[in-house]
Amino acid sequence: MAEFLQQVVSGLATGGIYGSLALAIVLIYRSARVINFAQGEMGMFATFIALWLIDSGWPYWWAFAATLVMAFVGGVLIERVVIRPVEGAPAVTVVIVTIGLFIALNGLAYWIWGGETRSFPSAFSTRAIRIGGVAFSIQDFGIIGVSLAAVALLFLFFRFTKVGLGLRAAAVNPAASRLVGVRVGWMLALGWGFASVLGAVSGMMVAPLVFLDPNMMRPVLLYAIAAAILGGLESPLGAVVGGLVLGVGLNLIATYVDFVGETLQLPFAFVVILGVLLVRPAGLFGRVAVRRA
Amino acid sequence: MSQRRVLLRAARFAAFAVGVAVVTVLPHWLSDFRASEVAYVGVYMIGILGLNILTGYTGQISLGHGAFMAIGGYTTAILVGHHAVRDLWTIPLAGLVAGGAGLLFGLPALRLSGLYLALATFALPVALPQVLKKFSHFTGGGQGIQIFGDPDYTGKGYENVHVLGQTLTFNDWLYYLTWTIAVVLFVAAWALLAGRAGRTFRAIRDSEIAATASGIDLPLYKTLAFGISAAFAGVAGSLFVLVSFSASPGSFPIVLSLYLLVGAVVAGLGSLWGIVVGALFVQYLPAVSGHISNHAGAADVTRGVILILVVLILPAGVAGLIRRAGSPLTNRAIRRS
Amino acid sequence: MRGRFAAAAVLALVLPLSVQAASAADPGVTGTSVLLGGTAPLTGEASSGGLTAKGAAAYFAYVNARGRVARRTITYKIVDDEYDPAKTIQGTRQLVESDKVFAIFNPLGTAQNIATRAYLNSKGVPQLFVASGWGGWAREAKTFPDTVGFIPTYTGEGIIYARYIKQKIPSAKIAVLYQDDEYGRELLSALKKGLGAKQRQIVGQQSYDPASTDVQAQIARLKASGANTLMIFAFGKFAIQAFVYVKKLGWKPKQIFVNAVAAATSVLRLATTSGQTQGAISIAFFKDPADPRFDRDKGMKLYKAIMSKYGSGGRPGPASRCAGTNPPAWCSGYYLAGMAPAYTLVAALRKVGRNLTRARLLRTVMHLDVRNNPFVLPGVRIRTGAGDRYPIEQAQLQRWRGTRWHALGKLVSAPRR
Repeated sequence: MAEFLQQVVSGLATGGIYGSLALAIVLIYRSARVINFAQGEMGMFATFIALWLIDSGWPYWWAFAATLVMAFVGGVLIERVVIRPVEGAPAVTVVIVTIGLFIALNGLAYWIWGGETRSFPSAFSTRAIRIGGVAFSIQDFGIIGVSLAAVALLFLFFRFTKVGLGLRAAAVNPAASRLVGVRVGWMLALGWGFASVLGAVSGMMVAPLVFLDPNMMRPVLLYAIAAAILGGLESPLGAVVGGLVLGVGLNLIATYVDFVGETLQLPFAFVVILGVLLVRPAGLFGRVAVRRA
Repeated sequence: MSQRRVLLRAARFAAFAVGVAVVTVLPHWLSDFRASEVAYVGVYMIGILGLNILTGYTGQISLGHGAFMAIGGYTTAILVGHHAVRDLWTIPLAGLVAGGAGLLFGLPALRLSGLYLALATFALPVALPQVLKKFSHFTGGGQGIQIFGDPDYTGKGYENVHVLGQTLTFNDWLYYLTWTIAVVLFVAAWALLAGRAGRTFRAIRDSEIAATASGIDLPLYKTLAFGISAAFAGVAGSLFVLVSFSASPGSFPIVLSLYLLVGAVVAGLGSLWGIVVGALFVQYLPAVSGHISNHAGAADVTRGVILILVVLILPAGVAGLIRRAGSPLTNRAIRRS
Repeated sequence: MRGRFAAAAVLALVLPLSVQAASAADPGVTGTSVLLGGTAPLTGEASSGGLTAKGAAAYFAYVNARGRVARRTITYKIVDDEYDPAKTIQGTRQLVESDKVFAIFNPLGTAQNIATRAYLNSKGVPQLFVASGWGGWAREAKTFPDTVGFIPTYTGEGIIYARYIKQKIPSAKIAVLYQDDEYGRELLSALKKGLGAKQRQIVGQQSYDPASTDVQAQIARLKASGANTLMIFAFGKFAIQAFVYVKKLGWKPKQIFVNAVAAATSVLRLATTSGQTQGAISIAFFKDPADPRFDRDKGMKLYKAIMSKYGSGGRPGPASRCAGTNPPAWCSGYYLAGMAPAYTLVAALRKVGRNLTRARLLRTVMHLDVRNNPFVLPGVRIRTGAGDRYPIEQAQLQRWRGTRWHALGKLVSAPRR
């Protein structure tokens, strides 16, 4: 029993990692109808910047805040400079642009900081807490807590602020939004900026657990995409819950189903994606769209 | 038929004839080694051809065509390496197997479109290496399958090959094998797309609702597009293995699928004109960017920036460029007469 | 399987021809120069592997500046293969057919070099000092005589750990964390082979996929197996995580072993900050720049001088500069891992002298006895001979105490099978 609980707890910890990045992916999708393949790399890059500040003597929380600001500006810049020119283009074009970003940012991180693994300080206590044979730390749940707080903030923002309304409108119907005076271009830039901030938060929370190097977010991205689809590409809450479900589910399957074991864990996650996309593309929390033909 | 149409037809035929002529005599000017390098261009051309049918003409994004190449490639590797089947016979077989896989995937993919489809196809190249490693009894696991020196492998990797009364060096043989098949498949694709199937695909791409309303059997044609496109990729994969005399999970990485899509976009979706340029891009971008600087990471930065720039500057790809450049010429010619 | 034997039979026919051809005017060598080629992952996910090639290049630059080798300048052309075997093949063909190199030196990767081995041997191109611990380079030398490895094999390493356990912890209950690919699996099966009947003392084994984010779940399962000895056959950050999770889960194994590739001082230091590393055992055969033991060592000083002048990593200093979160590039052991085989190759070239052909170089490389390689641990001999295609067969056990490695006993031999 203790082993089962430990696997659940470990799965929640890993799932929290997936969920935090999935949140950023969902936000970009929701505000710009784009899957940003470079989301993880943007988060990784921001984390390196944070580490550079901390190494230069900045206290942790100052570095954290400054990084968020820089991530926001970076996201806005990327949208304006690189995405704006292909705004009306078919989905394929934007996909390729984000792939190009992915490759370029990864290379840039290698160029500036090299490939060595580094440690990154944690915002939460890493002290182990053991209850009834199950061990975890505040850090494990800190990620989940921060992600849920972000979900709540996003909910309030989209529901109750004018800018949030503008963002939603710009994503759903850009033409009509322009007619009522919404600055669609800047709404998109804002969406990218916020998503970049979420990505940076994800990176800075994940790095203490998995250690920082330019390839840190690669595996996270794949599982985060799976989590986002599972939870529903339009739902921030779904992203976090999807991540947790995925983390726990994969752990339990790997423990108790020999055939899948560790080797087939990644393919299994994607079988899950395919299954979800077929049965209920809107995911666990998304709204089901009906097309009347 | 309008004069413009006649002129365009003639121009296209002439361009095609020139292309075939160039392909036929090129090895005379290429060093022996370069011939094997250009063989890879032929391989990528076939892959991009297939991808274009699916993404350019039918409007379904695929980020997973590297996986179909892997399926075709491993079919060849397993048959030649483990079951003593003559390599040339495995090429159409690889196409069939990969095509079958494409049909299988196309069925459930019917419900998806746009980004959701892209993500679903992305799952394939991500998951495949692990599956290949798991069933290592058949696939040789992480070390893969080597066919160098295998008696069923034409040329065995180093011998001269005698065909049609000519003696070709091994590299030249690879070149002619891949480019002959590439030209044949190009013509096949052209014929397919110029006919009813092509019109149906384009109708689906432009508006699925309108297509259904006109009586098009959407599921049939969408699945067919997947199957045909995957078959092309399978043949490309088979040739890839023959040119590389080996197959291993690491030879079909995720970036291959991404670069195939990039190549298709660079070539110009929805048109066959720029296919060769797309293939050249896929083959030479990594190498060229590597030469820019020795510094760690600089090559990747260059690649990423070039990808972005190409898509920004040439959203309609090389084909779009040709169309734009060509229209004043044809206008001129018509006005003259 | 059949294909393999067929290929071997064919090669047996082809090889005598190629050896003959090799004697007449070998490509890549002139009176004043010799051109070497190599493939390595300079970009992409495994790109730290590319640093060994850079280390070797720096060493060659040093040798060229100090009087060359038998009046020849060494040029080392490295092609990026992005760790993709298909690209390794393309790059190798380019080096052989277009650049016309004299030999392939220190190419990196197991799958990558398996893919090019038959091709190179059929053309009589020496494939020297392959950077991979796979045992097949030596085991299959009869079929592929132009190929030779360098470092001790993963099999040898696994057996060393097994022997230590049999001698010092005979009642150990063993748990193994291993990377799910050839390296991890070879270490695991070597451990089992070395333990022999005591294999059944392995009470848990967990693999992990290098594409996963962490190994917390695996460590939890291994702890639940009740083991008191942990083998960490993992790489890079996963090894660090293993140490950290062991501590976090409150598991106190009596003994932890960690494989050599993950045992660089810089890596262990990271693990020590929040992980349970004290007393961990590993092996080493190269000197570690981040280990203060070697601050005054002549070979290490040479390494630092070469890196300072011909490498690109700033001004090397004492090992204490390698502590902290941002160690300079020269602290990583990768560059040195390229200099060790480079030194050996230069020694072989010097021995062959002015009359340099592939056949003569191969003969010399296959009958080596180099005892003063400045980059390997003191006492380690680099030796090959008839029936012995394993250049380095010795290693030093070491134990982690405080913030560095301490030698444990004398040099041991790394068995072949």
